[in-house]
Amino acid sequence: MDVSLLDLIGGFLAFFLTLFVFSYILGDNLLFRLAIHLFVGVSAGFVAAAVFYSVIWPQLLRPLLLGTLEERLLVVVPLILSLLLLAKAAPRLSVIGAPVMAFLVGVGAATIVGGALLGTLFPQIQASLNLFDPNAAGKAGVNFGSMLFNGGLILVGTAVTLVSFQFGTRFSNNPSLQTAWRAVYLVGRFFVAVTFGVIFAGVYSAVLTVLIERVNLLVEFIRSFLVPIG
Amino acid sequence: MKLRLRTPALSAIAIVSGAIVLLGYFIRIPLLSGLRSVFLSWALILSAIALVVGVLNLFNVHINKLKAGGEQAFFSGILMFSLVVTFVVVVFFGLTSQASLWIFNYLLLPVEASLVGILAIALLYALVRLFYRKLSLFYIIFVATAFFVLAATAMTVWFDLPELGFLRDWVTQTWSLGGTRAILIGVSLGAIATGLRVLLGADRPYEG
Repeated sequence: MDVSLLDLIGGFLAFFLTLFVFSYILGDNLLFRLAIHLFVGVSAGFVAAAVFYSVIWPQLLRPLLLGTLEERLLVVVPLILSLLLLAKAAPRLSVIGAPVMAFLVGVGAATIVGGALLGTLFPQIQASLNLFDPNAAGKAGVNFGSMLFNGGLILVGTAVTLVSFQFGTRFSNNPSLQTAWRAVYLVGRFFVAVTFGVIFAGVYSAVLTVLIERVNLLVEFIRSFLVPIG
Repeated sequence: MKLRLRTPALSAIAIVSGAIVLLGYFIRIPLLSGLRSVFLSWALILSAIALVVGVLNLFNVHINKLKAGGEQAFFSGILMFSLVVTFVVVVFFGLTSQASLWIFNYLLLPVEASLVGILAIALLYALVRLFYRKLSLFYIIFVATAFFVLAATAMTVWFDLPELGFLRDWVTQTWSLGGTRAILIGVSLGAIATGLRVLLGADRPYEG
């Protein structure tokens, strides 16, 4: 089959699939469900194939089938664990896969804890400290006073937002602290509202760009067939 | 014969493997670092197999729906057919082959982009619905901030308004940064707490 013909078929498919998905604006319907089921099937098949190509073949099957004796011995344990895990696909044998799931959950939990500590918590605390670094202000050519003001604003925003999340009701029974915590809670909620507003604006401008690109694709596709006739 | 594995044995596996990986992050002992790297490479392979198990389970669910018949059988048939054809084509021709890219460009990308596109309408609809359901001060601040950032972005593109651009940057890079940082810290504290509960054996999601 000619490549340009394949592209033409692909163009038609993309056009109709886009229309099918957009038909959801009118409500749930058969065309939308058709597009979604096709999408789920293709996605699952693509992801499974990608995982086979990038992980299962190079790290498990290739060393086992084509590797040296040492490489084969190294993959014996993951091979046995993989076979046990595959038993999870059959409900009657799924209990065999439980130890492998326990191993995966343990390693996953440790990776999450390590990642959250080293990848988010410590860098965020470090970034909060850097806001008050006079050397950084000098290097960036920023007025230290304005840097201090903005840094203070960010630090206050971080602190009151965390407080409003964590301790909003803890002192509700203590009348002397109630008013102060209520004020901190309200300021924290204000920062949350501003943050969500900014996040919403960012997400909305991104999805709006995609929507415009899709509508433009539909218009251009129709126009490409109408212009030669006209 | 019905196999039954005791919870303490499963907890021991999770705790020991997790402890070795976690300690490997912070304590520089060659044996510990080596074990951590071996465990992580095994976990990577097993995660890939777990994903395959998930796909097999999806296939199994839709086989049952196909057997049950009715309107859903047609959609299940479409799903299973597209899954098998995509898997065979991508595995046979390769991940970056012309055939795989054709599937990606003409089947995956249009649906994915269109779903993101209708999110613009869904978000607008949700915003308007929220207006009718609950009108609070924080809702007004949220909408006003979002509207200001969107309008300021559009206006700085069309008109030469450096002050407006500066004000928008001040809101997005200073006022919202405090809240964003707090949300990130809150999420990481939540992740650490959940992870530690698993590592201490308080939560055992592998029992099911």
